[in-house]
Amino acid sequence: MIRLATRNLRQGGARLALSVGGVALALTLIFALDAIFTGSEQRLTAYIDRSGADVWVSQSGVRNLHMAASALPSGAVEAIQEVAGVATATPILYLTNRVEIGDQRNLAYIIGLPADARAGRPWQVAAGTDLPGPGEAVIDRVIADQGGVGLGDPVAILGLRLSVAGLSEGTVTITNSIAYIALEDFAALRGGDSVSFVLVTVEPGASPEDVVAAIEAKVPGVTAQTRQAFAARERRVVRDMATDILAIMNAAGFLIGLAVMALSIYTATLSRRAEYGVLKALGARSRYLYGTVVIQALLGTAAAFGLGLAVTLGLSAVVPRLVLGLDLVVGLESLIKVAALSAGIAGLSAILPILQIAGLDPAIVFKKGATA
Amino acid sequence: MTAVTLEIRNVTKRFGDGETEVTAVRNVSLAVEPGEIVLIMGPSGSGKTTLLSMMGALLRPSEGEVGLDGLTISALSEGKLPDIRLREFGFIFQDFNLLSALTALENVAIVAELAGLKGRAARDKATALLTDLGLGERLDFLPEKLSGGEKQRVAIARALINDPTLILADEPTANLDSKIGHEIMRLLRRIAKEQGRSVVIVSHDERIRDIADRVLWLEDGAFKDMVTMATDPVCGMGVERERAVREDRDGVAYYFCSNGCRAEFLTTDGHGAQRWLHAATALISRRPTIIGGRRGGEW
Repeated sequence: MIRLATRNLRQGGARLALSVGGVALALTLIFALDAIFTGSEQRLTAYIDRSGADVWVSQSGVRNLHMAASALPSGAVEAIQEVAGVATATPILYLTNRVEIGDQRNLAYIIGLPADARAGRPWQVAAGTDLPGPGEAVIDRVIADQGGVGLGDPVAILGLRLSVAGLSEGTVTITNSIAYIALEDFAALRGGDSVSFVLVTVEPGASPEDVVAAIEAKVPGVTAQTRQAFAARERRVVRDMATDILAIMNAAGFLIGLAVMALSIYTATLSRRAEYGVLKALGARSRYLYGTVVIQALLGTAAAFGLGLAVTLGLSAVVPRLVLGLDLVVGLESLIKVAALSAGIAGLSAILPILQIAGLDPAIVFKKGATA
Repeated sequence: MTAVTLEIRNVTKRFGDGETEVTAVRNVSLAVEPGEIVLIMGPSGSGKTTLLSMMGALLRPSEGEVGLDGLTISALSEGKLPDIRLREFGFIFQDFNLLSALTALENVAIVAELAGLKGRAARDKATALLTDLGLGERLDFLPEKLSGGEKQRVAIARALINDPTLILADEPTANLDSKIGHEIMRLLRRIAKEQGRSVVIVSHDERIRDIADRVLWLEDGAFKDMVTMATDPVCGMGVERERAVREDRDGVAYYFCSNGCRAEFLTTDGHGAQRWLHAATALISRRPTIIGGRRGGEW
């Protein structure tokens, strides 16, 4: 069965190449989109993941950073500091705004850091400081390069004219970057003494989960989450926002792949109709013939899967060099999903050919001019 | 009582119904003995292929029965027929019908594998069979690289691989030149006689009459005249008894292809009667016979 399927595929070389190429293209569409989102998710939560905080504390009910506003009274910082297991508590202010360099405007998460910040600083700095003082800003190096500015040059953030004091690395995504300014500059603009989040580090040996529970028990009006839980929540929000797009693109990729493979297997079966009739006449059971068709579809789709994956991995190596801030990450979840979709394509594309074979009269062998 | 390999009893096949009904085969009966070669001839549209399809369990008769080695195969369920076709029949086709993507060896081995023989054993058996048929050097050739005669020998090997009881051949020489056609038919005859397999051939090819033990004429779905072959004692040519020139001498019937041969036979009167006695005796049987050390009807 396998030998016949592979030989049939091999003999139809051009058809095989076209169908595998077509399906691979469709699968690449799904793979690449997933990879872009996975990469974006990872970039999006980079600040949370690498903030150095073990626990994030926000206004009660606020469970993510993106498209959310959180306001904690300044007294909350001291209250949190008093909770058993808390080593440090760093208040930050947060807002989505722009970094303006001349006429260039870049969307950015603006983080206001206190002078004694123990968490929340940029995790890698290419030049200058990692902790901006009053009148200073730390912006992403890529944004600075694009704007043609360096250390000491002016930028505008939240309407403030600030001097670039540091250049951070890995803080840019395809949609936005992260910029750091002094908490007091941020607070002066915002007014009042509230903070957005409190970033907590726990004492050595203390469990972040226990500290989360203790904070929520002792400090009223706050929501505490471990770093991992906060990041997962953030990813879910972003994914939920993209779910429809992903579903549409996945469906499009699936349907394109299905159409290409179904057409290919159907025409391949049609062209060998007489040979299947011969096998039927000689005594091959239907399951043998159906199995041959399904194996052809599976092998063709598996080749397309491999090709699609290879192309996506190639893209993931090349694209970040061409498009700054765009990472393509092929995750296990995506691999499983595309493999399942591929299996679906193979199975569904075999249905019509199987129906064709089922209706085949074995007496076709006596028709003239049918086969080799 | 004579053993019978294939027996069809009062078989009729109708297609369509009402005004469009066509009777392709009507009330046909036939018994084929082990090792017998039956040639069915007839004009196009006479029902030969329909009859062959019913013999091969590819088509069910509308009426009547088809029996193989005592088993009424026309009464079997659809699910059992593939196994019967696989193990009891060997099919040989006009267009060879080899699988184009498989080599000669694989074309034969695949049928053994379908019958349950494992890969290596199937390949070994196919190799032996193809080598025996003179294709030892062509095992790995695709059908497109084989000549017509070679393709037909591969088809014969495929037909034989599961040791069938009955070989059904549809126009086996139609796509072959005369020489190769003769070779193929000689091969089929050798297989039938040496291995005791029955062979039913449907053909238009007049040249293959001589290898048959029996020639049947099918017309309008029914057998017309039953033709029995004999050998002209003078020239050695195969002749139909019913159409041949006949001469009875001393209670023995002699059959000639022409009056010329008969005249020559008569000029040897006295000596001739003795000279041809052996042949004449044999000619009474339906099968081609041995004449002067040569087997009548054998090419």
